[in-house]
Amino acid sequence: MNITLNGEAHTHQGASTLTSLLDEIGAQKEHTALMQNGNVIPATDWSNTPLNENDQIEILVFVGGG
Amino acid sequence: MDTPLTLQNETLHSRLLIGTGKFANVSTMIEAVKASGSQLVTVALRRFNKAQAEDDLYGPLTQLKHVKLMPNTSGAMNAKEAIRAALLGRELSQSRFIKLEIHPNPHHLLPDPIETYEAAIELAKQDFLVLPYIPADPVLAKRLEQVGCAAVMPLGAAIGTGKGLATAEMIRIIIRDSQVPVIVDAGLRAPSQAAQAMEMGCEAVLVNSAIAAADNPIAMAAAFKTAVESGHAARNAGLMPTSEAAVASSPLTSFLSTHD
Repeated sequence: MNITLNGEAHTHQGASTLTSLLDEIGAQKEHTALMQNGNVIPATDWSNTPLNENDQIEILVFVGGG
Repeated sequence: MDTPLTLQNETLHSRLLIGTGKFANVSTMIEAVKASGSQLVTVALRRFNKAQAEDDLYGPLTQLKHVKLMPNTSGAMNAKEAIRAALLGRELSQSRFIKLEIHPNPHHLLPDPIETYEAAIELAKQDFLVLPYIPADPVLAKRLEQVGCAAVMPLGAAIGTGKGLATAEMIRIIIRDSQVPVIVDAGLRAPSQAAQAMEMGCEAVLVNSAIAAADNPIAMAAAFKTAVESGHAARNAGLMPTSEAAVASSPLTSFLSTHD
């Protein structure tokens, strides 16, 4: 499945859920916020939210900032 | 013992808010936060990158007891993007605090008052505890208070410049007219400037670069802690009035000259 992940083309091989995408890229789920096509998806919904062809996914973490 | 800072339903026992950017490494930042005594620290959002996993501050910061995280909306160019950033930040911070900052011009990083106002209205409706970073504009500050912001955060000077309280006269007007806490955010370089802001009547200050870019960030964090406490205590003690004419402290008796 072809998606755009953090602004770059990405081919996802696993099951088509947000959880499987996070597992594939090695993100620590409790440290991660996720947006799908501009919508913020709560962590409680990741396992049952389908990942679709051409989705725009943003995966974000906290870093230093003022 | 200093009196606590109340922001809506949240109580903080430190009036020093700390930013976590620009530190040389995570352990220095964590030790600086500890030395500062701060209970509210700002963080930014960035795209996940496994190769830069050491930049992920969630783990280290959530180990700190009594410290709440306040995500910022840095990177947002307009109200819509800021609201999106705030929603993402809340997912991770598990707190209502949001530092609302919209500064589309990278050359001066000055806040966009119109987009900030629009975003503040929506975020307050969505039950965020909104702390907006704003130009030192008393009219805007009042408008943001009226739409439900928990505080207003006028800049002392442009972000990262270290030029201190360049906007002091406008900040005085904001303090005089404000019903919500006024927090100076940006521009501070020296603890004496933080003390001055507190003496003027600010309820807190937010400091990042002045600590992170110091030769010894941990020692500087401790210096800001005592300066903020001292400035607040001085304000509570009531500064003496100023006078155009000199007013002697010692008795001006004439016993020395009467024997000529």
